[in-house]
Amino acid sequence: MHLPDGFLSPQISLPAWAVAVPFWAWGARRHFGREAAESLPVMGSLTALAFVIQTILIPVPGGTSTHLTGVTLLAILYGPLAAMVCEGLVLLIQALFFGAGGVTVLGVNALAMGLLGPLAGWLAWKLLRGLSEKAALFAAGWLSMQVSTLAVVGALALQHWLDPLYFPVAPAVTLVAMGVPSLTVAGVVEGLYAVFALSLVRKANFRGVEA
Amino acid sequence: MASRPDPRAGRRLLAAWLVAIFALSALHDPRWLAGAGLAAVLLFHRGLWRTLGRTLRSVVPVTVGLSAASMGWNRLVTGDWPPLQPFQALALRAAVIGFLTFAVLDRLALLPALAPFPALTRLLVVTLAQIHALRLLSTESLQGLRSRLPRRPGPLDLLRGAGGITAMLFTLATRNARDISDAMRSRGF
Repeated sequence: MHLPDGFLSPQISLPAWAVAVPFWAWGARRHFGREAAESLPVMGSLTALAFVIQTILIPVPGGTSTHLTGVTLLAILYGPLAAMVCEGLVLLIQALFFGAGGVTVLGVNALAMGLLGPLAGWLAWKLLRGLSEKAALFAAGWLSMQVSTLAVVGALALQHWLDPLYFPVAPAVTLVAMGVPSLTVAGVVEGLYAVFALSLVRKANFRGVEA
Repeated sequence: MASRPDPRAGRRLLAAWLVAIFALSALHDPRWLAGAGLAAVLLFHRGLWRTLGRTLRSVVPVTVGLSAASMGWNRLVTGDWPPLQPFQALALRAAVIGFLTFAVLDRLALLPALAPFPALTRLLVVTLAQIHALRLLSTESLQGLRSRLPRRPGPLDLLRGAGGITAMLFTLATRNARDISDAMRSRGF
């Protein structure tokens, strides 16, 4: 789902970096200082798990594929800023060691999949957990995926609007191509993953996990 | 005795690479992109085939696939094929940036270059170690599942097996992460 290098010009990628860096700095200061000794290993494992599940491509009709993000759980357990830092790290490792995504588009991808999506998921969890915990988790995962997808579509639409020769696909086409798999497949699987993964974390009874 | 990589030279190379990839991402004339690609090949000719192979395996299929899918969707929705040249420029741009990234990373000791950021280094090491551990454990579990079944495991077999092993994998990975994190903290990270 995340954008590769070359899809966005510096007109978009540089401002996105400028917005993302303060969030990373804030998140790192808040969640990864000396006092994070207990939570850092769990966050590291969940980040690694997010990395692994992001490499598993889910085929969707039309010959393309989609994937989960797996960071909604990090937002639920540690807050949206921790998810932003961890997703930034996943994207950095993917770009530097595996040639997926890219460094120029890292700011946009991190804001979409690391901040906006998990923030929406975290809000859904906070609002709905009183009604039913499992339903709230599923809704958080599903909503997180939709918001992330919309943010990526928005960035591509903005690029098309700025320079159609740079990115020639019309926003309506991008929305259909990315929105349909997200609504029907990826969102549902992300919701199920959130339910499954939180029950797993609770069963394991790790130090540094509060939810 | 092999010389230790100079972290300052590494940071300079990182900075130059960052400037170069952002500059490349601004180009959409295929001639400029081809010229930049040629310059990158001349500049980083050591290990050229390995870097080219890596780019062709991991960057080009993704960009070409996405471009083809986008063109197909465009044809399906609007009834017209979009112009080819922007997609060619897109594929070339992604390939040149990918080549440059792999060529620079081959010449760079990333962890010493990131030494001024100890928290980032610690999280990076913990995560990279867990990625390798999870991949190793999941491969071993898959091989175990294969050895227990008389036929090739199907999606349902994988799903049944995954439920049981994921908890164990995650617990092992987190214990391993805690050991690494404690070890790094005791060394001043």
